[in-house]
Amino acid sequence: MSGEVKDPDVLYVERFRILHNDYEHGGDAAAAIKSILKELGIPQDHIRRLSIANFEAEMNVIMYAEEGEMELQVLADAVRIVLTDRGQGIPDIDLAMTPGYSTATPAMRERGFGAGLGLPNIKKNVDRFEIESAVGVGTTLRYAILLPQTSQTGEA
Amino acid sequence: MNEHGHSVEIDPAKCVGCVACCQACPTKAIRVIDDIAVVKPELCTYCGNCVRVCRYDAATAKTSNPADLKMFKHTVAMPALTLYGQFGRDVMPSQIMDALRKIGFDSTYDVSWMCEMVTAATDAYLSECNGPWPKISVTCPAIVRLIQIRYPELIAHMVPIETARELAAKILRRKLSSELRLDPGEIGIFFITPCSAIMNSILRPVALDQSYIDGAFSIAEVYGPLLDAIKTAEKVDHDVPISPSGLLWAMAGGEIAGMRNTNTMAVRGIQDVEFVFDRIESGTFAAVDFIEAYICPDGCVSGQLVIEGRYAAQRNIQQIARKLGDQGQVKEEKVRSLLREHFFDLEEEIKARPALALGRDLKQRVAMKKEKAGVLEQLPKKDCAACGAPDCETLAEDVVLGERTVEDCLFVRIASLTGDEASEKEGNRE
Repeated sequence: MSGEVKDPDVLYVERFRILHNDYEHGGDAAAAIKSILKELGIPQDHIRRLSIANFEAEMNVIMYAEEGEMELQVLADAVRIVLTDRGQGIPDIDLAMTPGYSTATPAMRERGFGAGLGLPNIKKNVDRFEIESAVGVGTTLRYAILLPQTSQTGEA
Repeated sequence: MNEHGHSVEIDPAKCVGCVACCQACPTKAIRVIDDIAVVKPELCTYCGNCVRVCRYDAATAKTSNPADLKMFKHTVAMPALTLYGQFGRDVMPSQIMDALRKIGFDSTYDVSWMCEMVTAATDAYLSECNGPWPKISVTCPAIVRLIQIRYPELIAHMVPIETARELAAKILRRKLSSELRLDPGEIGIFFITPCSAIMNSILRPVALDQSYIDGAFSIAEVYGPLLDAIKTAEKVDHDVPISPSGLLWAMAGGEIAGMRNTNTMAVRGIQDVEFVFDRIESGTFAAVDFIEAYICPDGCVSGQLVIEGRYAAQRNIQQIARKLGDQGQVKEEKVRSLLREHFFDLEEEIKARPALALGRDLKQRVAMKKEKAGVLEQLPKKDCAACGAPDCETLAEDVVLGERTVEDCLFVRIASLTGDEASEKEGNRE
């Protein structure tokens, strides 16, 4: 699914579609991204933090949105995720970012979700985090982990 | 013993070039090229799956040569606990030890009590260490290799306590050389092994400069002679009484069964191990203190060099342990003083041996990944292994590495032949 790369700094792009209520494939995008990053030799601690964030973000789409797309962008100095969803949106982002706040239904809680830690947990595990949302339209998450710059040889 | 030999070997004279081993290998370390299976040693965990699946006796586990026994003034057989479960529930360990002496070893040594010691040492270590959690046992050498090769980030999770077999051999050599007034090098300690992974750990120890064990014979190769010798063997008490809790280490779950810490898990079989290790890497299971992991489906009783089936062997071990009763062999004070002496410590660090690195930097790795995706696009994704790589993805990787070509794929070759025919026909028409 490698798409066209617009940003010249982006070395590698891959997109994953996520559907509402698709618990059966919940976590697949996060797992696929993890194995890509492992293959690319990204340090394990970075993969681990990003995987936690990706899983939370992916499950948010499955539980709350209609559908979404998770885009992985690998750059020389960072791994970025852009997650765009179409759905109800978040009316009060500050409230949604409060640990413990949750709008999960009893059914979701029965599956072990809805602790109100999703968005705060994503923010906690990444180095860059931005969120935009429009009620009735959808939400876009952009987050990234920065890669250690080890004695870079050649052009950036 | 051949320093450079491997404990798993493929005999080119017997290999017919089927791809059973190639597809069974958990680390995709085998390629079949020109109808002969070849092992990539840097990827091999010596788990012995190839030995298990080979129907032509071509993949074999290499053990010591019986002539090696003559190199020593005094030889000791140190059986894996699994050996005690090979002869039914009525043959007790003391008879098996007597039989081992009858078939040519000067003495025998039991490791079950050292397993009990390591259990106590592990408990002590867990109560004092600070993560990363969970800690992982180093008992199964194939698991240690798997971590070195595929999960290098988990090395920090490994319990830095030497295996019971190496510790037992270390203590035994000291004891015998003073008792028998022999040079330590004149004593030959031979392990009776259930698997090729332990044999490899003796040839190439991970956290030791040199193994304290001099060689190994497989349970399968001593089974016949032992069976005969047991008929006349006596039930005698030997040097060290058996520890029933240590005895359970022969089976998966046995290691954690004797621990005081109960926040533990036993993981067995390569698929389950991969499932759990993948998740430990992602930070799952961090609430667990200790994981006992075996590459074989039921732990050592299911090694590929045993005779008795793993279910019967487990029943035998359990019943023998029950008969031995509740005789703990280990005094806590002894363990504490040995801990202070650092007796249990790994002598060297476990080093990563990552074999996955394709390319030297991120840019090159991205380029190779894209190239691999391009090659994979041309392959049929049938994972038939007829090309000699275990699946299409691995062939694609080998192509990128320059080791193979896309034309090694039969489907690609057939397509190009029919394609040629089609274009020839077209050419004729023109």
